[in-house]
Amino acid sequence: MEKFMERDKRMSGAEAIARFVNDGDSFVFANCLTGMPLGLVHDLIRSGKKGLFLFQQGGIEEVDLLISSGTIDRLAVAYNFRLGGKRVTPPLDRAMKEGRLQVEELTNFTLLAMMKAGAMGYPFLPVLGGMRVTDVIRKQGFLGDRCFAEVKDPFGGPDVLVVKGYRPDFALMHVQRADTAGNGQLWGAMINSKWAALAADRIILSAEEIVDTEVIMSAPHLTIAPAHKVCAVVPSPWGAHPSELAGFYDYDMVFRALYFAGVNDPDAMKAWMDEWIYGVSDRKGYLEHYLRKFGRERLEAIKARPLKSVPADYGFSFAPNWDERGYSENFDMTLDEFIRFMDERGILREG
Amino acid sequence: MGVKYTWDELIVYRAAQEIRDGEIVVIGQGIPMAAGVLARKTHAPNSLIVTEAGMVGIDPFKVPLHIADTSCTRGYSYGCDMFDIFTTVVHRGYVDVAFLGVGQIDKYGNLNSSYIGDPNDYEMRLAGAGGAPEFAGYSQRTVYTLSGGEIVEKLDYFTTPGYVDGGNSRYEAGMPEGSGPSTLITTKGVFKFDRETKEMYLAGLHPGVSLEEVKAQVPWELKVAETLEITELPSEEEVAIIRDFSPELSVGRKLSIELITRRVLNVLSGRNTEA
Repeated sequence: MEKFMERDKRMSGAEAIARFVNDGDSFVFANCLTGMPLGLVHDLIRSGKKGLFLFQQGGIEEVDLLISSGTIDRLAVAYNFRLGGKRVTPPLDRAMKEGRLQVEELTNFTLLAMMKAGAMGYPFLPVLGGMRVTDVIRKQGFLGDRCFAEVKDPFGGPDVLVVKGYRPDFALMHVQRADTAGNGQLWGAMINSKWAALAADRIILSAEEIVDTEVIMSAPHLTIAPAHKVCAVVPSPWGAHPSELAGFYDYDMVFRALYFAGVNDPDAMKAWMDEWIYGVSDRKGYLEHYLRKFGRERLEAIKARPLKSVPADYGFSFAPNWDERGYSENFDMTLDEFIRFMDERGILREG
Repeated sequence: MGVKYTWDELIVYRAAQEIRDGEIVVIGQGIPMAAGVLARKTHAPNSLIVTEAGMVGIDPFKVPLHIADTSCTRGYSYGCDMFDIFTTVVHRGYVDVAFLGVGQIDKYGNLNSSYIGDPNDYEMRLAGAGGAPEFAGYSQRTVYTLSGGEIVEKLDYFTTPGYVDGGNSRYEAGMPEGSGPSTLITTKGVFKFDRETKEMYLAGLHPGVSLEEVKAQVPWELKVAETLEITELPSEEEVAIIRDFSPELSVGRKLSIELITRRVLNVLSGRNTEA
């Protein structure tokens, strides 16, 4: 299993996508609805990569963007937000009708179970068998029989419905903070993050803040993306905008309304993407464009106020074996006396 | 003339050489932990120490008492749990090296850490399997250290798979292709495993140890490498790192207990040389 042990993996989103994403790869978002890695989504779209296969737990705008740009052609999906009734045709509907996109329908739980099985290296995982009466299980999408199966309970119970384990080629993930090695710390709603991140063979991580490893080590329970799986660290303030990120900002309702006003009209969607994705080169450019267009007040209005978690105390005495005078409390002797003791007892050998 | 060292310090030093930079290393406690720390402080600063309890990236300044002891480190980089370790780290194939201490070991590198004697009528119950079976089964390499244990013809109880019955039997049993025990380090020398037969053979001797001394500890006709390596000695700096990190390992189990006992008696009698 390829692992990533460099101490400093910082790079731009464009470089991360160029180096670690191939046409035709499968991928998953290790965020769901909240704190979405939209900066990375825009980088991926700008890269022009094609033929990707997305496992989508649940989302608001990213799937429509990836379809409209022609980035993905396969989608295993549990939930995707839709605006409007029968009279409108959102990008997802249109792409399916035009044959540009194949879809596999899953539930939130079964899709996440696929990730969890993959993360653990298991070929399959039991899910809740009552669902076998639904078309989600009965009707096959493009994954065919590589989704669900029935297995005999070796302990004599009724048959067990299982899902196949999947290991996407990569995950895109946004977190509040990370060190340069890529230990990504996330808090708030945890949804799918752990299992999606651990299922993927590599994680492209964007972070609001880059912090010292010492900060990471003081709160190890917050690390959701362990550095050995992270191939790239993309410093990305406002990297989840217009979705919200606990501790940093709210969702941007006004900006989202502007986007959704045009989402069902291909020309308006193209104009939006030309302006906000193709018209800028990175998240910094996107933010500059935002400030020029709307002013700083809009961003100030959605900035988070603190609700500090009381820090967990990981402390011990941290007393070393030998104190600053070279004295050991356990042995009640100094290091010199200790070496003399070993010599007297005849256990020291000539070097 | 170099610095004076103890046998246990030599094992720690030799075990540290089994870790390469940038590797993920599973360690419990004791001698292997000292080896891991020595490696990180010398030739392998980017190696990552993983413990079974779910602490990844610990940076210990003393030997942990057990696998979940966080008093030995000022934090760690990734806190998960034991289930995560065995699935998302071990089973997914991220572990380069696992270190295990040996109770009994046979010629194919299988271990017993459960019973000495017939399990139905045993002489001694050992600590038990712990994490050893899955670590040895699914890590790319396993390094064994033996200071108090024994090398036997047949295990009293098969706790942990090495190369099983030799040849390809380990892989036929479902363990990852190419994985397996790589080295056994004892107080006498260093053993490796034949590429084809997977039988353990003597690859090196510690300085001052004779071939006969080693053979006397092995109950089968031991195969010996054409050229035996003589274990290099640690430098003054390396010995200092080991003594700073783990004086109780340097001095060995017996004398360590003696020192602690003496300390306890002093405390009980209200004496303290420091005061």
